[in-house]
Amino acid sequence: MFKFLAQTFVNGINVGALYGLAAVGLSLIFGVMRILNVAHGEFLMIGGYIGFWLFTLYGLDPFMGLPLVAIFLFLFGAAFYKVVFARVARFHEELKLKNSLLIGFGLYLIFPQIAMVLWTSDERAISPVYSGKAFGILGLRFGYVPLGGILVALIVIIALQLFLTKTYFGKSLRGTAENWKAAKLSGIDIDRTFMITFGLGISLAGLAGVLIGLIQELTPVMGIPWTLKALVVVVLAGMGSIGGAFIAGLILGIVEAVSAIFMGPYTIAIGMLIFLIILMVRPQGLFGRT
Amino acid sequence: MTDNWKRISVGGGILALLVILPLITTRSDILTWSCLTLQYILLSQSWNIIGGYAGQVNLGHAAFFGLGALTTRYLWLSALPLPFALLAGALMATAFALLIGIPAFRLRGIYFVIGTLVLAEILKVVVDTRLPVASVLPAPILATYSVVPRYYISLIGAVLAVATVYGIHHSKLGLGMIAIRENEDAAKTSGVNILKYKLVALAISTFLAGLAGGIFAFYMIAIQPGYVFAPVWTFDPVIIVFIGGIGTIIGPLIGSIFFVLLKQWMSLYLPGGFHLAVFGVLFILVVLYLPDGLIEVIRRHTKLIKAFG
Amino acid sequence: MLEVSNIDVYHGDLKALWNISFQLNEGEVVALIGSNGAGKSTLLETIAGLLIPAAGSVVFDGIRLDRKPSQRIVQLGVSLVPEDKGIFPYMSVLENLELGAFNKRGRRLKDETLKLVYGLFPILKDRGSQPAGTLSGGEQQMLAVGKGLLSRPKLLMLDEPSMGLAPLVIRNIFEAIYQINRIGVSILLVEQNVRIALSIANRAYIIENGRIVHHGDSKNLLTDEKVRHAYLGTLSI
Repeated sequence: MFKFLAQTFVNGINVGALYGLAAVGLSLIFGVMRILNVAHGEFLMIGGYIGFWLFTLYGLDPFMGLPLVAIFLFLFGAAFYKVVFARVARFHEELKLKNSLLIGFGLYLIFPQIAMVLWTSDERAISPVYSGKAFGILGLRFGYVPLGGILVALIVIIALQLFLTKTYFGKSLRGTAENWKAAKLSGIDIDRTFMITFGLGISLAGLAGVLIGLIQELTPVMGIPWTLKALVVVVLAGMGSIGGAFIAGLILGIVEAVSAIFMGPYTIAIGMLIFLIILMVRPQGLFGRT
Repeated sequence: MTDNWKRISVGGGILALLVILPLITTRSDILTWSCLTLQYILLSQSWNIIGGYAGQVNLGHAAFFGLGALTTRYLWLSALPLPFALLAGALMATAFALLIGIPAFRLRGIYFVIGTLVLAEILKVVVDTRLPVASVLPAPILATYSVVPRYYISLIGAVLAVATVYGIHHSKLGLGMIAIRENEDAAKTSGVNILKYKLVALAISTFLAGLAGGIFAFYMIAIQPGYVFAPVWTFDPVIIVFIGGIGTIIGPLIGSIFFVLLKQWMSLYLPGGFHLAVFGVLFILVVLYLPDGLIEVIRRHTKLIKAFG
Repeated sequence: MLEVSNIDVYHGDLKALWNISFQLNEGEVVALIGSNGAGKSTLLETIAGLLIPAAGSVVFDGIRLDRKPSQRIVQLGVSLVPEDKGIFPYMSVLENLELGAFNKRGRRLKDETLKLVYGLFPILKDRGSQPAGTLSGGEQQMLAVGKGLLSRPKLLMLDEPSMGLAPLVIRNIFEAIYQINRIGVSILLVEQNVRIALSIANRAYIIENGRIVHHGDSKNLLTDEKVRHAYLGTLSI
């Protein structure tokens, strides 16, 4: 019995790490730009499919391909911001939020169609040779791939934290998040900051996408469910808390895995439950500032 | 004064035409097309209330449409008379809406957006898993199926929606909603009870959305239960409202007609679901460059025409 | 050095500034005096690039500032310490100062400027690692001024530095402003506290309802009957 629970716990962490990684990008974008990217899952899907392409067309090991995916999605995200969101980012807060929500919503319809054209609606998975392999400790099964995923997520998030706290540009991101007017007056180029932040956030989403493609499958309609997960995690962690988003992701993963035991197909409703509880009891999330 | 009379007579004329439409034509495609347009008018006006007037972006509107649809469908097929089934569906939608709205509206707008999105997606997944089989009208009902009563119910729904929006537009409620939309902080300091107005707008909006779902459930011969929660049912009314003119009475009317025509035309030339992508692009363009919709374009042009004498 | 000519500025649809013109010469301390809502902050924000004038021009050292992005204006040597202090509350005092030096020139001279700022406001060094939001009002104002200085401006603009501060703290800050001017930074000061503004400024302009209604040397303004009556009360100096 205990072993069963412990294994469930492990499985929960495997998925939770991906939830966290998916949410960190969303949190970053919202924290700095006050834009809620409701199409985050769509970019995640694109990243996953690119990783898939690199693997199946060029034989590039997905973990090796991660930096490429990251770079490509960073550029894609930055360009996307420039072309689509830049106009909106200049409005004041409420209008900016509303318009960016609508635009993100429009992307819901565009991206899945493009994905269906490029990759068909069949499910795809990235399955390198070591896919199903695992090793056991104390009778618990630890898959190589999920473990790799957790490792990557941890590295990325630690790197992000270092970037934000130790580099000048990273500090300017934090400053912009706290007080964009003061940031402007400090000589920070807000437009460029927004563009790079968005690129970063999208890049993180893409990384998560590849890791998801390794553990689960990729479909053209996976964008919405994953955006949903990321949103719940961000609310749970607290808006703008970046490190906290990862931990909240792990928590969600574990809670879901454990609830699945007795909730079966209704497990997804756990997200809604968590959301409502947070709203009523602690709106600033676990790690957010009041 | 004459302007008002002009509007009333034009509106009345159109309404009269719509009422006698099934009597003057038996072409099923015109009736079907009109029926759908009327349903879109109802659904889009419902979003117009919460999104256009109150300015709260509801990206999970499909949740309420779906709740109304499924509730009505099952109650009606269980021999509950249609009007009660429709009412039950609409109320079910409102109940869920308030479940989200009450905790969410006390906080920043973002929580409402996330809450409705999450609700719509969760309902879709749960329903898809638990009710995977399509609901088909049983033989006796199928035998006597006719578009005409469905047409009239849709017409009643559409008229109800337009009347509601008209009422809101000219009421203190509407004024409060617009104040919240334009500048929530300023509205609060002017003494507007933000929470109350938002909840009322949400309740009315989702009631009408649930009603639209119920009418849709009555209209369709076969329904895949999970489908009524699909994002299109949020997207369609949103794009209609934006194309037509957000926060106006006529906007969704123009938008609905335009939308149904465009959709019809596109499905002839574009494969599969690709028209969705086209609508997505169109929508983004409208949000970026034409935020006031076609109504604004028409207004500007009529000014030009008037200027030329 | 700074030449503002005939600018009209709108806040949304509301006109805030009517045909404002004034100059500031290198090395000067110029004060903008006026009651609440007169448009002083709007004027500074326009010069800093946060607002674009509907008409007129702002020229600094021969270069037009209006219509330029704010980060460019900071680079050109104009820095604004806003009314709300413009600090980053959750970041440390040191990080705040460092971000003040974000532009090229500021970064190059950062260490040197930090020493200068610590010399003026030693307490900022003590509180270096504390979150800026935990500082007292006066300390935050010092931080704001220090931050502005870290951009190595040629012209430092201050919006109501005395606001909400105790007299002793005000003296402290204005002493520092005086020192800053002495090392060669020109100062444009917006103040409601007319007495202290005139005590430090060479010249002053009086703004009322978005228009400049009076100007002159501080000495003359202090003894001017109209000014004394409107802004200084009937107490003798």
